Amino acid sequence: MRVKVDPQEALKEFAEFSKRMTEGRALLDKTRDSDVQIATTPKHEVLRQDKVVLYRYESPVKHTVKTPVLVVYGLIGRYTMTDLQEDRSLVRNLLAQGVDLYVVDWGNPSRGDRWLTLDDYIEGYLGACVEFICKAHRIPSLTLLGICEGGVFTICYAAQHPERVKSLAITITPVDFHAGSPTAPLHHGLIGLWARSMSREDVDRLIEANGNLPGELMSYVFSMMTPVNSLTKYNLGLFDVMDDQAKLLNFLRMEKWLADRPDHPGEAAKQWLKDLYQDNKLVHGKFEVNGRRVDLKKITMPVLNIFAQEDHIIPPRSSQALGPRIGTKDYTELPLPGGHVGVFVSGKSQGILGKTIYGWLKAHS
Amino acid sequence: MSEQVTDWFKFWAENQKKFLESWAQAGAANAFAFPTNAGADGKAQPFAVDELFKRPMEQWASIAKSAWSPEKGFDPEAMKVLFNPEEWKRAGSSFDMGIEKLTEGPNFATLWDLDRKILNAQKLWIERTKDAEDYAAVVRSAWNTAFERFMAALNDPEGAPLTSGRALLNLWLEHANGALVEMHRSKEFLEVQRRMTRSSAEYRLQERAIAEAFCEVHHMPTRSEMDEVQREIADLRRQFRDSRRNGARPVDRPAKSLAPAVKAKSPSTRRKSKRAANKP
Repeated sequence: MRVKVDPQEALKEFAEFSKRMTEGRALLDKTRDSDVQIATTPKHEVLRQDKVVLYRYESPVKHTVKTPVLVVYGLIGRYTMTDLQEDRSLVRNLLAQGVDLYVVDWGNPSRGDRWLTLDDYIEGYLGACVEFICKAHRIPSLTLLGICEGGVFTICYAAQHPERVKSLAITITPVDFHAGSPTAPLHHGLIGLWARSMSREDVDRLIEANGNLPGELMSYVFSMMTPVNSLTKYNLGLFDVMDDQAKLLNFLRMEKWLADRPDHPGEAAKQWLKDLYQDNKLVHGKFEVNGRRVDLKKITMPVLNIFAQEDHIIPPRSSQALGPRIGTKDYTELPLPGGHVGVFVSGKSQGILGKTIYGWLKAHS
Repeated sequence: MSEQVTDWFKFWAENQKKFLESWAQAGAANAFAFPTNAGADGKAQPFAVDELFKRPMEQWASIAKSAWSPEKGFDPEAMKVLFNPEEWKRAGSSFDMGIEKLTEGPNFATLWDLDRKILNAQKLWIERTKDAEDYAAVVRSAWNTAFERFMAALNDPEGAPLTSGRALLNLWLEHANGALVEMHRSKEFLEVQRRMTRSSAEYRLQERAIAEAFCEVHHMPTRSEMDEVQREIADLRRQFRDSRRNGARPVDRPAKSLAPAVKAKSPSTRRKSKRAANKP
């Protein structure tokens, strides 16, 4: 038996535990929901289409980058990830350096949105946002900054409308949906396994029964990748931070973001799961948007591809698959330390992320 | 069950059995037919109603026979099993078989339609429960594996000493996480999870069929009807967006708040934008 606990040490550990519990409880008691704010950077609505809203962030400084940037998050999770807290906000970081920033908010799809397809989101809503910004600024093209599923949207849009995209930056974006590494940790790429474990009919029946792909189901699938963390976060995870106000608020902000997981519109989810995760059509040049094949070779503008080295949701190789398939030589890859979400919220990668994107935007504006 | 109800059930079952048997015999012995559409030769084609009725009649006669017989009467033990809630909880029980028999009965257009839907939902609920049990069994086995590994690690003479409660807990969590992740990647788990997801969807859809039957009776729109309407709306919106885009009109009227944000524009540009926005 390896347990060699000294009775004195055990007492000390117990005393520390009790102290942390007492302090933590007091801190939790005085913490109000209003203390846990996310996405607080000032912005205003400039365009609304159905539930989709285009915002423009208020610039605190003079613009130093000529071309405006449109941030495009996916339908799984919400764009607020880019602005989770003041000191770790990609949005604030870019604004402070003089980037003119827009963000598209897909809203909270309900059952009535079940018929919306990826075509609607890419050509319809995203297309309209691009057109709007270009008209408002009297420019022929802008910069797209796609994140995760939103990265796929921007890739498709850029391939279909290269004349409208001056430069394309994608972060933690899947391109080859079957890519992985035999040496990667076991929990990496589990979402792909889950998607491929279902038949096409299973996916159809799941959507038919629920209308949309429920946000709760996606949360469950994500939690399978880190099972013990998911099971212990409200006792151990919370306990570890509960006596430190800054850490506690970080924890609660992340919880707020995680809890705000909208349902994924049904028809779009079918395309996402069947055409992309199961059939891997994007990388094989067979994915269609509005009846037109997405030809990655038509991506001729400069591309910045940022991925997370420990990304358990989108394996790095999945993102890196873009490089050899596009029609530009102005292609930059930036591997960052951290996981899928960590890239945006960890102190370690936050500085590098904002600085790199800004430098690249400045050079390609 | 009171004697009165038993008598009533016997009476009902006997009548039902005789009625169905007489139909089955009549259908087999002397099919009644009526002319329908003309065939290729121009003559009216007889429609063999006996074929339509024969099989379901036989099925129902068979069900009635097994449920009750004049010699043995109704079997109280079978009834007890069928109506014991404990049995309902158990997936794959004799209750399940009873429901299967009933739901596999004949499909008449309206006769017992709602009853059939309810029974089918019960059958699907049992399937779902069974799949959930299989899922739980696979998950349980992973926890057992985790515990075995934890115990082995705990007794490993070469392992570093664990000097605090937290170190002990961390060792357990490390093994639990490893075993659970391995399990989540296993074919066995992926299959039971897939089956549970599918059977949950099927049950939910059957639940919807029941709810829709209720809605129809009470003059309320159904989920399916709402889905149809919403589909129409989505199609119309799509057409509207396409025609607006193809018509080269401004995408949308800018919100008021945009004006101060786009400072680069000169007043004359704003006037032009306004004129463009007002064009039909």
